[in-house]
Amino acid sequence: MRLRAVPVVAVSTFLVVFQVFAQVDPGPRGGPANAGGPLPSVAGNNDPPTILDFFNAGQEAFQEVASVKGQVAGATDDGLGPRFNGLSCVECHAHPTVGGSSPPVNPQFAAANAAGATNVIPTFITVNGPVREARFRYIPDAAGNPQLNNPDGSVHPLYTIAGRVDAEGCTAAVISQPNFTAAQANNNIIFRIPTPVFGAGLIENIDEETLLAYRASLTGNTLGITPNFNRNGNDGTISRFGWKAQNKSLELFAGEAYNVEMGVSNELSPQERPAGLEAKTSGLPAPCKINKTPEDHTNFDETPVDTISDVAKFAMFMRLLKPPVQQVSGPNTVGIVIGEGIFTEIGCAKCHNVAYTTGKSNITTSLHNVEVKLFSDLAVHFMGSGLADNIQQGTAQGTQFRTAPLWGLGQRLFFLHDGRATNLVDAITAHSSPGSEANAVIANYNALTLANKQNLIYYLRSL
Amino acid sequence: MSLLLMVLLSVATPSASDAVTPVPEQGRVAAGRYRNAYFNLSYPIPAGWTEQPAGPPPSEAGAYTLAQFALIDSEQRLRAHVLITAQDFFFSLIDMDEAKELVAAIRRGLEPVYQLEGEPDQVTIAGRTFHRLSYRAPRSGLRWRILSTDVRCHALTFTVTGADPAALDAAEQAMRGLSLGGKAPLCRGDYNEVVKKTDPRFPTNRYNTIPVRVIIDAGGRVKHAHLLSAYPEQSEAILSALRNWRFKPYRVGGKAVEVETGLVFGMPLRGDR
Repeated sequence: MRLRAVPVVAVSTFLVVFQVFAQVDPGPRGGPANAGGPLPSVAGNNDPPTILDFFNAGQEAFQEVASVKGQVAGATDDGLGPRFNGLSCVECHAHPTVGGSSPPVNPQFAAANAAGATNVIPTFITVNGPVREARFRYIPDAAGNPQLNNPDGSVHPLYTIAGRVDAEGCTAAVISQPNFTAAQANNNIIFRIPTPVFGAGLIENIDEETLLAYRASLTGNTLGITPNFNRNGNDGTISRFGWKAQNKSLELFAGEAYNVEMGVSNELSPQERPAGLEAKTSGLPAPCKINKTPEDHTNFDETPVDTISDVAKFAMFMRLLKPPVQQVSGPNTVGIVIGEGIFTEIGCAKCHNVAYTTGKSNITTSLHNVEVKLFSDLAVHFMGSGLADNIQQGTAQGTQFRTAPLWGLGQRLFFLHDGRATNLVDAITAHSSPGSEANAVIANYNALTLANKQNLIYYLRSL
Repeated sequence: MSLLLMVLLSVATPSASDAVTPVPEQGRVAAGRYRNAYFNLSYPIPAGWTEQPAGPPPSEAGAYTLAQFALIDSEQRLRAHVLITAQDFFFSLIDMDEAKELVAAIRRGLEPVYQLEGEPDQVTIAGRTFHRLSYRAPRSGLRWRILSTDVRCHALTFTVTGADPAALDAAEQAMRGLSLGGKAPLCRGDYNEVVKKTDPRFPTNRYNTIPVRVIIDAGGRVKHAHLLSAYPEQSEAILSALRNWRFKPYRVGGKAVEVETGLVFGMPLRGDR
């Protein structure tokens, strides 16, 4: 008995000491996903009539697996490739449920060689790491060396369809993967992970006047915070989706992703997409342009709900997807309540603005004049050299990023734009580096007692 | 191969018509003091405090993060920090012309989680009037002392924050040793009497705001221009155009004098002006 008691005491002493010396992230909140599914007015009232059918059709399309010609077992959609990062929307937007972010097991591992594809998995893609897309800072030459007078910034999909049973003449002899080894050796590559799309319709329906008024209210703030908005290059209006707020609407977001991430041409991105030097010179090899374009399009001979394209379905699914719900319960409830106050007191809530109110909606009542607890100002901020990816998108510069909405954070596995952090402590401290607007807020965080840092983490994991 | 040559990317940065005339973002630390030639500021860094990472570049709305210093104890806990910021009134997103108004705006905007330690008041530091606001946050135990003064149509603000009242006292006490202000052009927000101008032409619409501080000499010519944020081609076009602008000379007591004012190119800052 005595011998057995000693280790128990030792373990509890260790735990106490551990808690005294460092705050810890308890990890993703367990239990059911507190997100996903349709908005209340869609699920409960089907308001307006048939809208639930559109949500369901969108959700189904979001989960469809694509092959090149739609003839591979298990695939129900066509248009994949010739370059791609994944086989379906849900592969990347999977956790904690459909519409989320990177799952615990990276589906890009299986996608690399699905249906006979002969892709080499890049070293930055790991089995339990985040789903990643790769962007090059500069367009590389044929040898993989970056051309410093040729800024890039675009996505270079990881894989090609070469070797797949449905790729016909699009073989490794005519198309190849980007030279990721050279890109890494030359520090010419950055990564992005999927953004969750829960509550996206609420974000889409926040009026510009609301965003501008909030920005003005931060004038003279004593934290060094200087918000700005990314703007759509065509009409100058505020854009709001993506890591740099580079996409104006959900339809654009979906259309671009369908083409860039899966290689499916559509009515918003009608051509098959070449990448890198290929895009600047010869374009795609002819044998790789297998399908008629756009591969996804309006279906004139279908039922009303299936007349719209996949892109329109994806956009409507995201638009009608309900937001995550905070969970305040369990052994850390007191800490969560204290942490909520800390979040505001030290200045996190200045950029991670707790709530906006949407404008009028012509879609459904759950989008109309409602409070949106997204924890973001939807502005872009200078985040310093530590987080800089040196990619310019719209008016967002190399060190600027949109304030990431924090709703759903409690169940997230990977943090920051490239998924470099797997715990919230690292994610918080990464906000501070030379040139960052968050330096004073992180200084406030560093002035907290360990107990209050821990309470803040508990609060964030409740979201 | 290093890829630090990011200058090849076209990004919005601050720029100026010459490299000699001081601009607000060019302060530096030397011999235990933070010195800023634009504000003619010399701030004694309290003993034991260290410089913290620099802040962001000047904003389109005229906000500067000038410097930050902190006192960090042997257990690496931050005891207190001071952030020095400036708000250019010519480019503010809300109506304000004085540091007093900025402090009042901060007071009005305080969320209920904070407790005031008194209404805003005035103190004299180094012979200058500072507007002061003190408040604290009971959950975190943090306290704030905000001290803001008027310099060249900016609110120059020292924000001292921390949980250690003694460290805050030390930081405030150190401010007694600062020197600030001196000979500088008059600044006038409403000085817009342009008698000759050519609008700059930009090759592309960037949908950005370009705030420009100009010093106009006694003859009405632009002596110096400081662009807080502009893309390279915008900076070139604006500086080229301003060389040909002429203002009606600003007069004080019948004598033409230098004057400093603000111009906004590109996207307006606000809808009402």
